[in-house]
Amino acid sequence: QEAAQGEAKGFSFTVDPLVLGYESVSNDTDSAKFVEYRDFDDGPLGFLRVTGASGDGERYLDLNGTRIGREDGRYTFGYGAVGRYSLLVDYNLIVHRFGNNGHMLFTRTGDGRYEIPDATQLALQNAITANQSRLTFPFLRNLLAPYLATANEVDPRLQRKRLLVRADLGRMAAFDWGLELFQEKRDGTRPFGATFGFNNVTELPEPINYTTRDAELSGEWNGDRGGLRFGYRMSNFKNDTPTLIWDNPFRFTSSTDPGAYSAPTTSSVNGSALGIADLPPDNKASQLFVSGRTRFGSSWFVNGSAAYIEMKQDDPLLPYTLNNSIVGIASNGSTFDPTNPANLPARNADNKVDVTNFTAQAGRDLGDNLDLTFRYRYYDYDNKSKRIEFPGYVRFHAVWEPIARISVPYAYTRQDASAELGWDIGTRSRLAFSYGLQLWDREFREVESSDENILRASFDTRPLDRLTLRARYEHGDRSIDGYDVDAAEATFVEPEASTNIPTLRRYDEAARTYDEYNTQAQWFASDTWNFTFGVTGRSEDYDKSQFGLISDEIYQYNAEAAFVPSDALTFYLFGQWADRTSFQKARQSGATPSTNPLDNWQVKFDESTATLGLGLTTTFAERWTADLSVQRSDSNGNADFTAFRGGLPLASPGPGLPARTAAQDFANYEDTELTAALAKLEYKINKQFSLGLSYLWEDYTIDSFILQDLQNYLPGALLLDANNGDYTGKVFTFDVGMRF
Amino acid sequence: FATPQEHPSEPAAAPPATPQGYAGSDTCVTCHSDIGDHLATTPHGKEVFASKASQGCESCHGPGAAHAENPDDPALRPSITKLSKKQQSAICLSCHDGRQQFFWHGGTHEKRGVACTDCHSIHAFKSEDNQLKAKNTTEACLTCHKDVRAEMWKSSHHPIREGEMSCSDCHNPHGSQTPKMIKAVSVNEQCYTCHTEKRGPFLWEHPPVRENCLNCHVPHGSNHIKLQKTSVPFLCQQCHSNTRHPGTLYDGLRVPTLEDPSLSSNRLFNRACADCHNLVHGSNDPSAPYLGH
Repeated sequence: QEAAQGEAKGFSFTVDPLVLGYESVSNDTDSAKFVEYRDFDDGPLGFLRVTGASGDGERYLDLNGTRIGREDGRYTFGYGAVGRYSLLVDYNLIVHRFGNNGHMLFTRTGDGRYEIPDATQLALQNAITANQSRLTFPFLRNLLAPYLATANEVDPRLQRKRLLVRADLGRMAAFDWGLELFQEKRDGTRPFGATFGFNNVTELPEPINYTTRDAELSGEWNGDRGGLRFGYRMSNFKNDTPTLIWDNPFRFTSSTDPGAYSAPTTSSVNGSALGIADLPPDNKASQLFVSGRTRFGSSWFVNGSAAYIEMKQDDPLLPYTLNNSIVGIASNGSTFDPTNPANLPARNADNKVDVTNFTAQAGRDLGDNLDLTFRYRYYDYDNKSKRIEFPGYVRFHAVWEPIARISVPYAYTRQDASAELGWDIGTRSRLAFSYGLQLWDREFREVESSDENILRASFDTRPLDRLTLRARYEHGDRSIDGYDVDAAEATFVEPEASTNIPTLRRYDEAARTYDEYNTQAQWFASDTWNFTFGVTGRSEDYDKSQFGLISDEIYQYNAEAAFVPSDALTFYLFGQWADRTSFQKARQSGATPSTNPLDNWQVKFDESTATLGLGLTTTFAERWTADLSVQRSDSNGNADFTAFRGGLPLASPGPGLPARTAAQDFANYEDTELTAALAKLEYKINKQFSLGLSYLWEDYTIDSFILQDLQNYLPGALLLDANNGDYTGKVFTFDVGMRF
Repeated sequence: FATPQEHPSEPAAAPPATPQGYAGSDTCVTCHSDIGDHLATTPHGKEVFASKASQGCESCHGPGAAHAENPDDPALRPSITKLSKKQQSAICLSCHDGRQQFFWHGGTHEKRGVACTDCHSIHAFKSEDNQLKAKNTTEACLTCHKDVRAEMWKSSHHPIREGEMSCSDCHNPHGSQTPKMIKAVSVNEQCYTCHTEKRGPFLWEHPPVRENCLNCHVPHGSNHIKLQKTSVPFLCQQCHSNTRHPGTLYDGLRVPTLEDPSLSSNRLFNRACADCHNLVHGSNDPSAPYLGH
């Protein structure tokens, strides 16, 4: 102990730096996008780094605080002896803002409970009941306007608080042991599409009250010719607000009729007074894993890993509905109260999945220049969930649907096998070819079995000391054993005829070919200049799919130049152009799948993104350091639609809308522009003190078809309309840096 | 030059006398004093390094006596960059062969001729952690992966450019047995480490979600909300062209406008399909077989 104290006394500490400053912020529109993942706010700002070393230099201590006291702050503590043991404690705060100044008629009155004053609910119900024959959008908008004018403000935002403790415990019994503990608390809200029906979306701030706790213990042994690693990891997720219950703005008393799921309309003003939604349930996962590697002789290496993961979820099931006017009908025709969870066929979800993962690689040198590598990966997602059969369900809290449904334990197995032949051409070049096969076997999906042949070639070379060239090409060809359209109806106890277009192929399973390439040249033209050029592309063709995704292509070109003439000056400039085109086809149907080709419609999306950036860091006049960076990203997208005269898409564009002669394109398939400029200036007064100034300027605009001209109330939707749009934001910081 | 076989993997009992051909570190630092001073502040200047590498500088660089005797002859300089990338990495791996580097052999970077010293620097690193040539992990990766740099600046992105995440939170650049050097055993297991609420399993599943998050999302950046590959509702319509509303054309006519919002469709604005099908990652609600009421 005395020795330890002696060593501790020998610890020397350096503070480098302690920064105390003040941050001044302006955001012209108060858009949450400016502070999406950041906590910019007027007020003091602090950074601290303390490093310590024991007298013999073998033990270290590291304390780091970044943006101290802020919602995006981070704090780490490290202690250890190099190569023997270590402890890391990392506390990281991450904020995620989804919007500012949203409005809602609701008041949060408890965990997961949103209410509208009874008087308001009743007044709105009476108004729509009395005016059922003229329930148009303008009528409903005018009806809601005075209530929305005094609505509650809400800023949906989420705060993550992540605590990680990682200990390398050192060597015991030939193994190096590690222990990792992790806890993350997530608190806040995010926009959630609560709904009472086709014409009554009620967006709400979903309460988030999550805790994730993980723990892992692992051991590792490494010898001259191999190694072994093993461990156990457990992960628990807990949601302390598992249920969302909210009032229907248009119904004070629960009611039902066959068309109530589309209320409020001229055909129905009924529905539930309360909505209920099941928020993410608690779940658990545990994982056993073992990995190994070894060398045989002088030319073989083999490594592999195996993992067994068990995932469970057994939360209590909610009742079918809270609408007490609905009568449930059992499979035998008897009736029951669907608001009572005791009348469910099961009280808990009883879901369980076992994952088995096995990977292996083996390689050997074939002479001095050739090598061969085999890879195999087996991933089995075995869903052992109990199948639960329900005699029906409640549609939109409004109507009992006597259509028996049954939960489906979707499962799959994926296998990847490949062989790669590499040829080292001298010490500067390598050429490799590989063939791979990816196999999928699925249960309950449209495609039971598929195989994808994958050919790859890569060439990497340094023809000159200052030049590196890299190129890779890959071609894939996936074929399927068949496509069972009716598989989509697996959740129906008595499957009805498929409602999807029979010749649609879901792209994640469909037959396809793809080509992918990636080339890059890095040229160190001199001791001070270097340049990088690259082209990447991927083209997917689903040429056997008549509907669904048909093709998807992306090409990217990039260039970068850097100039580093000395430690006192660094300059870089980069640019990238990316162009993506995708094409999909659909067919509009009425009550049954259309067979009329004139009902087809298709859309081609074209997105281009230009990104430019430059940076300059320079030290001048001995005491001054300047840092400047500018980034600009400019995205532009178009959606070009085609529909045909005589077909449903043009003849029936929407309820109450007249027929038209052509589909209407839009040119704001998410057009965004972001320019960010950051300038920093530091003046070193002496070795101990420095003064810093920094200025961040950001300008963001978004023109998006999906977000344009949103309002609190639009047809069939009561939205939060939280501000997440354009802004010009500025952050000015002044600080004093100290080192001692 | 030194090869891994020449490096003892266990600590030496006592420093051996300088063997023939070796100059000794004291000789090296007489000229390279700046490197020596800097190295002393790093793990390579600590006792643990000395215990594994009995020849000091020459443990990595190889014998330097000839260079010391004739320092102006470039052919005699024990420069590691003269070696092949594989040989360069072998020097580092002779000590750093476990933990993160457990699966270096056979990994993508090894096979593509990337050496440890392409990202790390022993003598002149810029990062606070991990002795990187770049100022942090993300910048180190972007040295080669230029396309990802542009993705990060898109409107919808993980908080990488804000510094809240780094590439190595999801990828292990030193090698992994999962495609794309993912740290977990699959893409989904990786995503669940932060998005645990989507792990399930659920009463009502959305099968493509369970197979691969990347069926619908892109991880590095997107012009569309929620890192979607294609914006809703069209993303959904790539698979769902069913009767009635799923297969209906939602084109420019139904986009909301201030002039005439009554034309707009709630299947096209805000979160489109997800405003009703709010549980697309899985639902535990008996009345939500359609992943929403």
